[in-house]
Amino acid sequence: MEILDEIKKDYVRDLLQKGKRADDRKLDEYRKITLERNPLSSAEGSAICRLGNTQVLVSAKIDAVEPFADRPTEGVLSTNCELLPLAFPAFESGPPSEDSIELARVVDRGIRSSETLDLNSMVIEGGEGKVWGVYLDIYVLDYDGNFFDASTLAAMSSLMSASFPKFEDGKVIHEPAKPLGLKSKVVSCTVSNFGDKKVIDPSYDEEIAAESRITIATTEETLCAMQKGKRGSLTKDEVLGLIDIAFQKGAELRAYL
Amino acid sequence: MGGGTNKPVLFVDGKRLDGRDIDELRPIKIKASVLHRANGSCYLEWGENKIMAAVFGPRECIPRHRVDPYSAVINCRYRMSPFASLDEHSKAGPSRRSTELSKVIREVFENVVIGSKYPKTAIDISMEVLQADGGTRCAAITAASIALADAGIPMKDLVCAVAVGKIDGKLAIDFSKIEDNYGNADIPIAVSSRNKEILLLQMDGLMTKDEMSQAMDMAINASDKIHALQVEALKEVYTRKAQDKPDEQVS
Amino acid sequence: MKIVVPGEILVDKPVRMADSYIENGNTYSEVVGLFHETEMRLVALEGAYLPMDEDYVVGVVEEVKFAGYNVEINSPYSAFLSTKDTRFQFEMGDVLFAKVKGVDEVKNVNLFDARKLQGGEIVQISPVKVPRVIGKKSSMLNMLIDATKSEIYVGKNGRMWIKGGDSSLAARSILKIEKEAHMSGLTDRMKDFLQKESGGNNKV
Repeated sequence: MEILDEIKKDYVRDLLQKGKRADDRKLDEYRKITLERNPLSSAEGSAICRLGNTQVLVSAKIDAVEPFADRPTEGVLSTNCELLPLAFPAFESGPPSEDSIELARVVDRGIRSSETLDLNSMVIEGGEGKVWGVYLDIYVLDYDGNFFDASTLAAMSSLMSASFPKFEDGKVIHEPAKPLGLKSKVVSCTVSNFGDKKVIDPSYDEEIAAESRITIATTEETLCAMQKGKRGSLTKDEVLGLIDIAFQKGAELRAYL
Repeated sequence: MGGGTNKPVLFVDGKRLDGRDIDELRPIKIKASVLHRANGSCYLEWGENKIMAAVFGPRECIPRHRVDPYSAVINCRYRMSPFASLDEHSKAGPSRRSTELSKVIREVFENVVIGSKYPKTAIDISMEVLQADGGTRCAAITAASIALADAGIPMKDLVCAVAVGKIDGKLAIDFSKIEDNYGNADIPIAVSSRNKEILLLQMDGLMTKDEMSQAMDMAINASDKIHALQVEALKEVYTRKAQDKPDEQVS
Repeated sequence: MKIVVPGEILVDKPVRMADSYIENGNTYSEVVGLFHETEMRLVALEGAYLPMDEDYVVGVVEEVKFAGYNVEINSPYSAFLSTKDTRFQFEMGDVLFAKVKGVDEVKNVNLFDARKLQGGEIVQISPVKVPRVIGKKSSMLNMLIDATKSEIYVGKNGRMWIKGGDSSLAARSILKIEKEAHMSGLTDRMKDFLQKESGGNNKV
């Protein structure tokens, strides 16, 4: 498999010189997106996002937890990611890889810094100092590139379908009590760069062939997270151009939420 | 296992909490070939259980010292997601329980997979429990069997599995989580579909020999129903692909 | 013709057939496949490539050694090409077309008649579908070559090497054959497809 990657890289680059992609998409076209809301009943919120062949499940599970000692009045948001061995031949069991940690942190940053979830309003009434903890688990089920955008879409969708549970007699009762009161819809747009050619929503083959990658998360109004990846470089003008694209595509993606 | 303080009435007029008879399975939905990257895959819903299983291989066996010159080696990974149950968010990663289950499930498939056809290789089976409601190992085995067939791995037979339990002194098949919590015994059983050979058998709780015999009969009877659903799911893949329809959504 | 699953009885007598086994005088399937009762033939719907003598394969050099090359052939087993058996010099990542010979019981695989394939692209399909890409007496393959004017090398290991002509159409056609391999009337459908697609390109 990996040995074939080298040949695929040349093919992807040759096609792009002609302005084409292997799956006949336009350079700025996303693959087919579907969002399945609330596939799980064991979690407060959940969603499966399919982006072409890439499939990501995100669960948003909410528990009563002790706050961090230095922030006693803030709720807890925790994002974790598993690149499951069933998603890709080279994903392995064991401690989280660099890639999975990066993915979790990029998704977490987008959601956290957007302040869409108001951590200051998550102290539990009558909870003796306990606060709500929202656990986002990102499960990559099938991998064909761009798990960033698929994960952010699924994470956002899972939060939108979640509610805070009830809290009675010192215990959590897993029934919806109060909406999360999200302030905005965070989405991310990932672009692979091949010199002057920019490819939105890269497939796996495009990802490995690209010089660099950038993920830009936005709310309706502002940027909320960015992450550049891979060896290649970008100029300031390129970045600015990509930000415009991220806002434009962001509006498109938000329509799915 | 074990009791709580507020034990619900588990048995009313011969019917169980969810209205099932003693020998009635929960609804089972199986869909094969749901992942594009894996060589074979299966998504299975069994009551409130939701399982994703996938197979990679036969492929090169790594590390090298595990190579069997005469047969394929089988690797199994059974994992419970941290969000699988209504209880609190659990720790990710292997537990002692999932390690044990991975082992006994591997032994099931070592029986039916014809490993001699692919000496020196590895066949990797992954089972992810996305949502749990009692009987996840049996659901995982049932799903993995389909993922193996979907991958084209040669097998003597399909495998199906189901648990029998004891509630209030009565045997009943396919416990849900709540029954499991208050039941007196739990006996997961996996059988080969054709010969009804028992490939996995675990038991905890107090049982007489007669009860064990009855439990095995119940599991074997139920296996025919599960097998029929498995066959249907495998044939559905063929018709789905033949009709050239875009794949439907999972669930 | 019917679809069978592992463990399903094919005939109530012992018959030697690929992907089946005999037990107590009966013959059972080992795989999900199509069983043709009249011809007593079982065709698996999926499966890894097992190298057999006389097969031609498209491989990629994965290691250059002193005495030859380790070649990845889309199989659990890699193959060996001895420097003595080829007049070409290969580097890691080079693509080649070669004949399989001398597979032993522990699946050591040797290659002969290797030829280097330069440029072009590779399409990978399920090895069990390769016979449909070739067709009866190479009819399908010839039709593809006529319509696309591409150079196409078909490996039994499910790997196709394509160069020149309308290579994108050739690649899409092969993937379409893979997807519809088990449907009847495939040849006619491919004829229509090729006509429509190549006609469409001419207009552009």
